[in-house]
Amino acid sequence: MILSLLFFTFSLAFYCITAVFYILYWLFKKRWIGQIATSMAYIALLSTTMILITRAGESGHAPFSNLYESMILFVWITNIGYLIMEHKYRYRVMGAFVMIIEVIAMLSTSLLPYRFKSVEPLNPALQSKWKWLVSLLEPVGMEKYAIGWLDFHVFTTFVGYAAFAISFGLSIMYLIKSRYESDGIRNILVERFPDSRILDELSYKSIAWGFPFLAVGIVSGAIWANNTWGAYWSWDPKETWSLITWFVYAAYLHARITRGWSGKRAAYLSIVGFLCVIFLYWGVSFILPGLHAYA
Amino acid sequence: MADRVGEVSVDVEGRWYRAIGSRIWALFNSLKLTIFVLISLALVSIIGTVIQQNQPVETYLSEYGERWTRIIFLLRLNDMYHSWWFLLLLTLLVLNVVVCTIERFPPKWKALLKENKGTAKPEIIERLSNKDVFTVDAQPAEVKARLLGIFKKRRYRVRTFEEKDGVSIYAWKGISGRFGADVTHVSLLVILLGAIIGNIYGYNDFRIVYEGGSMSVPQADFQLRLDRFWIDYYDTGQIKQYNSLLTVIEDGKEVFKKHIWVNEPLLYKGIRFYQSSYGMAWDRVKEAQVALKRKDREELDPPVTIKWGELKKIPDSEYSVRIVGYVADFAFDERTKTVFSKSADANNPALKVEVYRGDELVSTPWLFFKYPGLFSTIPDSGDDIVFTAFRPTLFSGISINKDPGTNIVWLGTGIMGLGFILAFFVHHRRVWVSVRDARNSSEIRIGGTVNKDRFTFEREFEELLKEIKATLPATGKGEVGR
Repeated sequence: MILSLLFFTFSLAFYCITAVFYILYWLFKKRWIGQIATSMAYIALLSTTMILITRAGESGHAPFSNLYESMILFVWITNIGYLIMEHKYRYRVMGAFVMIIEVIAMLSTSLLPYRFKSVEPLNPALQSKWKWLVSLLEPVGMEKYAIGWLDFHVFTTFVGYAAFAISFGLSIMYLIKSRYESDGIRNILVERFPDSRILDELSYKSIAWGFPFLAVGIVSGAIWANNTWGAYWSWDPKETWSLITWFVYAAYLHARITRGWSGKRAAYLSIVGFLCVIFLYWGVSFILPGLHAYA
Repeated sequence: MADRVGEVSVDVEGRWYRAIGSRIWALFNSLKLTIFVLISLALVSIIGTVIQQNQPVETYLSEYGERWTRIIFLLRLNDMYHSWWFLLLLTLLVLNVVVCTIERFPPKWKALLKENKGTAKPEIIERLSNKDVFTVDAQPAEVKARLLGIFKKRRYRVRTFEEKDGVSIYAWKGISGRFGADVTHVSLLVILLGAIIGNIYGYNDFRIVYEGGSMSVPQADFQLRLDRFWIDYYDTGQIKQYNSLLTVIEDGKEVFKKHIWVNEPLLYKGIRFYQSSYGMAWDRVKEAQVALKRKDREELDPPVTIKWGELKKIPDSEYSVRIVGYVADFAFDERTKTVFSKSADANNPALKVEVYRGDELVSTPWLFFKYPGLFSTIPDSGDDIVFTAFRPTLFSGISINKDPGTNIVWLGTGIMGLGFILAFFVHHRRVWVSVRDARNSSEIRIGGTVNKDRFTFEREFEELLKEIKATLPATGKGEVGR
């Protein structure tokens, strides 16, 4: 408990520093600042990994069973996703936008009331483990580390959320960039953005990861629900909102190939989609009561 | 043949209903309708998460008042995911998917079958966004061999065409990615089919069953017996798991036993049984303790534990006691003169016993757990029987669910997974190369295209060019050396 909270405090600081360096890089375009920013992002990633590991050690189960733990998972995957993208496409300016999202996520996690942060044993509904994995791990005495549909569900869902977060940042950049491009206004900071065509393409790429992962998350959640609640779909607020989000991104994917809907409108849909994700994730948990009362 | 086609089309345009038909067809063939329906579904679904679904009318009356309740029921907002207008939106989506698939799939299929025969004409290459023209120091035959090696290494499938002044190469991979959208769309239809089948042929039910008791199963020829219900706790005292041990009984014979818990249902003959809740029986106990209070004595005798229905002699006395009734929350209806339980909670537990003196039944009093000695229990003796403790009979709440559509839904999600892999991760890359003999060297005209993710393909194409130029020395370099 203490160790994971310590790593959390470190990580929060690291993400703030990382964001500051990415912003400085954006403002001054100095290569060495960019290199520091990237190294800081790796350090922050390492620190977040340590939160997850210590947390798993403290609780004795996969560290994604409540809002606090899942937020850390979200931050972790978003960071990995961003670093992969930076490594592949070499546009560091995007880091400023993604890392601001990370800092906001970390800050809101730190503001969660204590009862969300404490290590809790799993309640009856959350104990689902794959039998084949349990029997595989049993001979080596590690069956307590077996995971199940629920862990799979949370993990895949959060890969989706992370991808949508990145595409949200990129879509905002796209809208700014394309406005300046179409108005013909020159602004040195906006000119440092990648081309609007590239922003659009990367935003799509991000959603092209998020959309199937959200689908897998919904389906694995349905499999779990079918084993627990007795029905694969109950129109529970969380389920419904995940479907709403999925519809919005489905609309985005169709908009992109439709004349008159590609470009700006698609970018707006991507932003609306992420707002849905935020509501699905936080709004539903706090406002709408339902069966999905864990996170 | 061509003339007849012409006649038919004149006929089609001539009739007004055909014209409307083709308009409707065009509407369902449009992606704008898809976007409209998807956004509409997203928007209206919000309503169902704000207004509670499938509640009794009183809930809506107390929350929204009479006028709004009327509107809620008029628009079926109390069960909106099954309302006609929500189903209409889903139907629009289905028609949209079906028409789009009919319109787009066959021509795509035909075009791709034909594509293998396509030659790399310079005009085609000119139109591509990724292209290059350069001359290399090699004969077309050598160029061809090298290019085939490069394409093979990159896992392209290749077709070559010998021409009189050179050779053409067409290389492609990831053709299945073209069908990702179609596969995904079909999967959606399969999932909906499974949901419809589940809605028509499935049912949900709930039964409570006492430990040792049996329950009948609707629409089935077997019974379930609850052998045991128990709760596991963590060391901290928090509940870890609820468990029931169930036995399937068919034709009076035990078929098999299964330990179920919250994530582990019993599946038998397509019907699933879930651990859903538990509680204490309001009308029976497993066992109870009673104690004899002798005449003129303050203290009770040591208590005696009696099982439900068992006749037990109280030691060192002439009395025997049998438990014949129990209510958790005792109440008496003056009008019908019957005892009933006001609630299922043990607020006022009362035990009905038969008291025998020797073999003679002397009384059948109600004993009150909370009010010992309220009424005299053994008339004309001064002795009293006191109800001191009880062990409740537990029951297990079992949800019963039959949904023959479930496996179809899982099949659909499997197809959807395949569709996603094809749609998002398999890109149809096509490269055309035209190699022309230019005396001692060859002119290479190369162009490529991809159906999605152009950005990655641009880089791939550049790498491809780099590799070709590295393996085949360009004529320009030779001149510099001279």
